[in-house]
Amino acid sequence: MWPKEFDYVRASSVDDAIQQTSDNTDAKILAGGHSLLPAMKLRLSEPGKLVDISRLADLKGISANGTLSIGAMSTHAEIAASADVQQYCASLATACGMVGDHQVRNFGTLGGNIAHADPASDPPTVLVAAGATIHIKRSRGERSVSAEDFFIDLFTTDLEDGEVITRIEVPNLSGHKAAYVKMPHPASRYAIVGVAVILEMDGDTCKSARVAVGGATVSAMRASGAESALSGSSLDDAALNAAASAVQSDISDALMGDVSYPESYRQAMSGVYLKRAVKAALG
Amino acid sequence: MAIGKSKFRIDAPGKVTGETLYPADIDRENFIHAKVVFSNKPHARMKRMDLSAAEAVTGVLGIFTAADVPVNEYGLTMFDQPVMVGVNATGRSKVPSDVSRWEGDQVAVVVAETPEAAQAAAEKIQIEWEDLPLVHDVWDGLKDDVLVHPEAGTNAFKHYVIRKGAMDDGWAAADVIIEGRYEVPHQEHAYLQPEAAISYVDEMGRITIEIGGQWTHEDQEQVAHALDMPAEDIRIIYPAIGGAFGGREDMSLQIVMALASWKLYQKGETRPIRSQWSREESIIGHHKRHRAVVTTRWGATKDGKITAVEADVYLDAGAYNYTSNKVLGNFHLCVAGPYEIPNARIDSYAIYTTTVPGGAFRGFGAPQGAFAAESQMNKLADALGIDPLELRLMNCLHDESIAITQTPMPAGVSIRQVVEDCASASQWHQPLADAEPFQAFQSLAADKSNIRRGRGIACAYKNVGFSFGFPERCEAKIELYGSVEIERAVLYHSAAEVGQGTHTALRQMTAEALAIDYDKIEMVLSDTAFTGDSGSVSASRMTFMAGNAIKGAAERALEAWQNEDRPAVGQIRFTPRSTDMIDDVTGKGDANISYGYVAEVVELSVDIETGHIHIERVVCADDVGHAINPNLVVGQIEGAIVQAYGYAVTENLRVVDGRILNPRLSTYLIPGIKDIPLQVDSVLVEVPDPQGPWGARGMAEMPFIPLAPAIAAALHDATDVWFDKIPLTPENVIRTLRDNEKTS
Repeated sequence: MWPKEFDYVRASSVDDAIQQTSDNTDAKILAGGHSLLPAMKLRLSEPGKLVDISRLADLKGISANGTLSIGAMSTHAEIAASADVQQYCASLATACGMVGDHQVRNFGTLGGNIAHADPASDPPTVLVAAGATIHIKRSRGERSVSAEDFFIDLFTTDLEDGEVITRIEVPNLSGHKAAYVKMPHPASRYAIVGVAVILEMDGDTCKSARVAVGGATVSAMRASGAESALSGSSLDDAALNAAASAVQSDISDALMGDVSYPESYRQAMSGVYLKRAVKAALG
Repeated sequence: MAIGKSKFRIDAPGKVTGETLYPADIDRENFIHAKVVFSNKPHARMKRMDLSAAEAVTGVLGIFTAADVPVNEYGLTMFDQPVMVGVNATGRSKVPSDVSRWEGDQVAVVVAETPEAAQAAAEKIQIEWEDLPLVHDVWDGLKDDVLVHPEAGTNAFKHYVIRKGAMDDGWAAADVIIEGRYEVPHQEHAYLQPEAAISYVDEMGRITIEIGGQWTHEDQEQVAHALDMPAEDIRIIYPAIGGAFGGREDMSLQIVMALASWKLYQKGETRPIRSQWSREESIIGHHKRHRAVVTTRWGATKDGKITAVEADVYLDAGAYNYTSNKVLGNFHLCVAGPYEIPNARIDSYAIYTTTVPGGAFRGFGAPQGAFAAESQMNKLADALGIDPLELRLMNCLHDESIAITQTPMPAGVSIRQVVEDCASASQWHQPLADAEPFQAFQSLAADKSNIRRGRGIACAYKNVGFSFGFPERCEAKIELYGSVEIERAVLYHSAAEVGQGTHTALRQMTAEALAIDYDKIEMVLSDTAFTGDSGSVSASRMTFMAGNAIKGAAERALEAWQNEDRPAVGQIRFTPRSTDMIDDVTGKGDANISYGYVAEVVELSVDIETGHIHIERVVCADDVGHAINPNLVVGQIEGAIVQAYGYAVTENLRVVDGRILNPRLSTYLIPGIKDIPLQVDSVLVEVPDPQGPWGARGMAEMPFIPLAPAIAAALHDATDVWFDKIPLTPENVIRTLRDNEKTS
């Protein structure tokens, strides 16, 4: 299908993009376009104007200096291949390397991905588990929000009209054990369920754990019950089974399903994949 | 010898290079465009239809509805469907025209200068409907409080019986009785090429349709009937066809395109019309493999001899018969399996519902029947402590057997041979070897502790050729050119090349029959203006029937050649031995010409935490009688197994309130290259069919049939749980395992 007719402008700066989208509520920011354009072709989204920010140098680049800073217009392929990301938060590199196919990863951006907030996409789940911070610019200055609070619901974020995501900041998790595992949909490869775990270990004991779930839920979300079940345990079978039960309760109010993979199955799989994520994290 | 060799497919170069044109590829400068409008109403009566806004759209050339159809009825074996649903129908019809009984009923065909104009006009057709209550499924249908076809008097419009022996004796002799209830799903054909056609009036004044189908002459007859014209005024041509599998047996665009061309021609519009369905329209707009429920009970002695079988079959026919009455017949026989059954009571019903019609699909009722029968055999073997292979050998049919229809089996019964060959090729008597633990997905390390391995067996039979008294026929004509030597021969034949390789086989068989060089054979194919009635490519019949027709035509042509005719022409309408409709009270009757036989062993792993199934190996022993082209036979076996894997494991058509919820390939999941069995070993068994040409036997459907029950048996071997409902999606597997934990 073809999208409805629209205007296209290339923003000259972040402020210009903010200006153009603040003045016109019918305008939408265009990043890599790999979420927005399909939605437009299906007429799920019909903006009158696209403001292209994909070439703004300010929004590009990855740097690691105490924390990891990823420009919003970094592509999935750049993130997946970045030595800094590998070092600070390897499971984010894993997740970005699982998005779509080569074409999508070469063009789609992390900023665009999280602004779109597809519940079955991989990077949001890792960002929530990692405790990432989203930095946002708007006409009256800048603000930041935690990834956990950023993702609100199905395709719904904390982002408002006239705001642009500038960068995503991720803490240095190089000392942690972490993993992201998912069951990909056979046709789309989107996550039927995706689980990210980040474990702070003290010898054989899990000092603290962060767990996030996506795919099975309307948005990427933290699973605090599962975190409690893992924290302080030796991650033995009993602890893993307890965490597998807990994660199913954690997400029970936010489940999502489709004709092939109903909610009940995805809920059950969140437990299975949590266990497998922990095992994968421990190597 | 031209047969028995793996000649390259003659259609391959054109298809690989893109030179061959499928209906949707044909491009003519002066095309005008048609759009078929579906009712989108599972059950509703049309009160009013207003075309004025649609007709006012710029570029619209004509909109045709039920009111324009001379004989507004359609059906391959029963006229129970209007060509189009609508008001003001004046043509004669046995079926009321104003009721939509399925969301895919057609209500109009719009012809316009451009596809966009046709689409725009289609959206502007105003229809007022009165919704009618839905008949969701067979249980709803059996209540008969809402009739899909009030004129039929009941929704259960077809009922077959088998009454054989004495059931009391059968149960009394049984040491073990196994009861089962089996559910089998719809299946979408998902052929590569969605429906497309072009239509025009040719230079001889014939209304001409170029389309992908399975039987040119049936298309011709159906169009002629609806247009109330002699068949010779209708011409059907098949260009390249992108798959069929039974899904092109019924009409899609044939009748409405013919109607549009004819109506416009009368107004002086002679440009050819083109139309094409999207994938969604294809999935909504054509029939499916029937979903069904079987309840059944089998008894056997402790030595493993079957003493009694009873079964009740409930087939969801959907809104119209299509070929349900015929599919039900095959199902009815196959639900007792290829075994000697001394005592049997079987009742099978086809039931109208307001859902997508069921119709022809590779196997034609046999896969559904075999799922019940073979699962019962595997459960019996388990209960008796007898190897399931041995139990089959103890009970299988042979040449002296009396069939379930109480008539002698046609000679050449080879079920024992295929079972034994399958067992030996699969090393059935050796312990199942370990396999690498499978890694369902790249992100997920294989976890050996959750993987269970298992192996299962199933076998099956199915008729070859039209059955239950439906007239068989296959025409062929051969012309021989030359003076002293035959320099070239031309075969005229209608067999539809749907990708199975039939045209290559025809050429091989013609060369063989004439004993001349393969390269000297030319062919004129699939055009009712030149080629005779071949019957359909279905029922695994074309090699069998066409081979016999070619042999007959070649014999006559060679005789004419001896008589110095130049060109020498031989023509024949081959008819095999006739069959009977089975008796209404006893089910007795010689229902089938001949049978094909097959056995399969499946080796698989299952992840008991996620429900993912991974098939390491399928061994298929298929009796093909005489392999005309061994590579094409192997291609049929591998293709059937992939398609059956989809049926058994991944494909899950969801129909809710009369609507298909997943009419696209992103949500209706056919298997991909990474899903399918890792290895398929095709064992070509060659027990000659005494009626087949050079002993060849129909084979194309057989490998589909036993796969689902063989997978279910392997899953039981792996998990100790029986799976009586397919598809075996991860969700179904997990749910069944958990339900079993609760009850055990």
